[in-house]
Amino acid sequence: MDPPSATKFDVAIVGAGPAGASAAYTLARKGFKVVVLERGRTPGSKNLFGGRVYSHPLELIFEGFKNEAPIERWTKREVLSFVTEEGIVSVEYASGSSTSFTAYLSKLSAWMASKAESAGAILVTDVRVDDILMENGKAVGIVSGGDRLYADVVVIAEGVNRLLCERRNITPQLSPEEVALGVKHVIRLGTDKINDRFGLDSNEGLAWFLIGKVTDYLPGGAFLYTNSTTVSLGIVVFLSHAMKKVKRHIYEVLEDLRTSPPFTRLLEGGSLVEYGSHLTPEAGLKMMPKKLYGDGFLIVGDAAGLLINLGYTVRGVDLAAFSGYLAAEAIEEAHSLGSYTSHNLSCYERKLNDSFVMKEMKRHDSVQKLMSKSHIFELYPQVLVGTTKRLFEFEEASPKLLEAAKESLKGKGSKFKMLLDAITLMRGP
Amino acid sequence: MTQQTATKQRIKRIRLEDALNANVWDVDAKPHIIVDSEKCVGCTNSACTYLCPGGCFTLLAGKLLYSYEGCLECGTCRVVCPKDAVTWNYPLSGRGVQYRFG
Repeated sequence: MDPPSATKFDVAIVGAGPAGASAAYTLARKGFKVVVLERGRTPGSKNLFGGRVYSHPLELIFEGFKNEAPIERWTKREVLSFVTEEGIVSVEYASGSSTSFTAYLSKLSAWMASKAESAGAILVTDVRVDDILMENGKAVGIVSGGDRLYADVVVIAEGVNRLLCERRNITPQLSPEEVALGVKHVIRLGTDKINDRFGLDSNEGLAWFLIGKVTDYLPGGAFLYTNSTTVSLGIVVFLSHAMKKVKRHIYEVLEDLRTSPPFTRLLEGGSLVEYGSHLTPEAGLKMMPKKLYGDGFLIVGDAAGLLINLGYTVRGVDLAAFSGYLAAEAIEEAHSLGSYTSHNLSCYERKLNDSFVMKEMKRHDSVQKLMSKSHIFELYPQVLVGTTKRLFEFEEASPKLLEAAKESLKGKGSKFKMLLDAITLMRGP
Repeated sequence: MTQQTATKQRIKRIRLEDALNANVWDVDAKPHIIVDSEKCVGCTNSACTYLCPGGCFTLLAGKLLYSYEGCLECGTCRVVCPKDAVTWNYPLSGRGVQYRFG
């Protein structure tokens, strides 16, 4: 490993994704001697996400964020679509303002890591951390191959596959109930075609969510985000449901989406520039480790299970980055108390609880639970598309709204259950 | 020409191999996925064969074959395996898939 093993750091951070890089940047600016260990060749080269980032938390963390960060387009159009074999019903929201942008995560992570480096953090790439170095129950550094690197405190930002946490029995082995699988195409179309076909100006972005037939009616959904010259098109499926119900290769589900209307027309002439996949935490509070801190260590980002899927939007990068930022603050506080004991680091949990991160995680927990129920993803699209079809496609007698709705609900289950779900979506249980 | 054939001709399906070839790779000489195929005997689910987005797992005459070269490093195989047959780790030295967009 490049920095000599004899060198001891104040903080060792495992992973240079949004959480790790945010922690590194914040700590370096506070004067800590920080090393970030990244398994990829460059920061971001192992990162993948859907395509949208909520900006505000990042603006709080990184100086000059809005001007310098690799932002593709500001999201000014939001579309939510319900899809069945019969057709599509969409709800669209357009606005002159925006709080989120589209981006490439590889580029965003690289930018964050470069900010951390400029602030004085040392970044070491091509290094896979194999274990947390423990002495007398306290984390004192990391192990990579035959090398050991010592640090006073370790920040675990290893991502959704918690290989280190599992090895150290900090978390149990990841189960299919806890994660969803995302697969994604990045398709180059060029700025003009994107603007023309999606009705956008050059700086305006579209975030489009689809549920129903797009995932063979499995819990999850499809998404399309417009970048400057490409679009990100992908699907997300909850693994526990996919294991039971998907009967063909997951790639074919994505290809079916890409080669069916309306995407045939929208993506015509595009060329595939990247195909990737990633797991995302989906179990809300249930996937979080019991404690996000211990003697000499803190857990941040996806490894901490911090992701919110509301069905119509997903946020992960901002939560990850802010948890990294709060971990840095907690380390500073523990340092001022004289040691990185579990007790002194416990302020991290308090900071998370007081911040929007845990408030949001808790507030939306019931919706997240609802998202993993399968009937939502079949019943809602069927009823909405069925009703709309009856309203508009008639020959002689045009139905009243209620008649059309009743007709499309026939044999599709309890109206009471639907009402309950709708209430959960709107206000929680 | 019917509407359907017109749209069909607009967009061709891309084979998984070709989609994987759109990526930048630096494949390791050493595998980072090891499967204990003996544990696969009697597995009725075979989730790895349809949920691995890289298509790394296939059944041939009832026997599980696997490769690691097209691994997208998502970890799905590890999570869905009901037999605990997959030993999965990240490739060493930055090898494997190189996401440029992510």
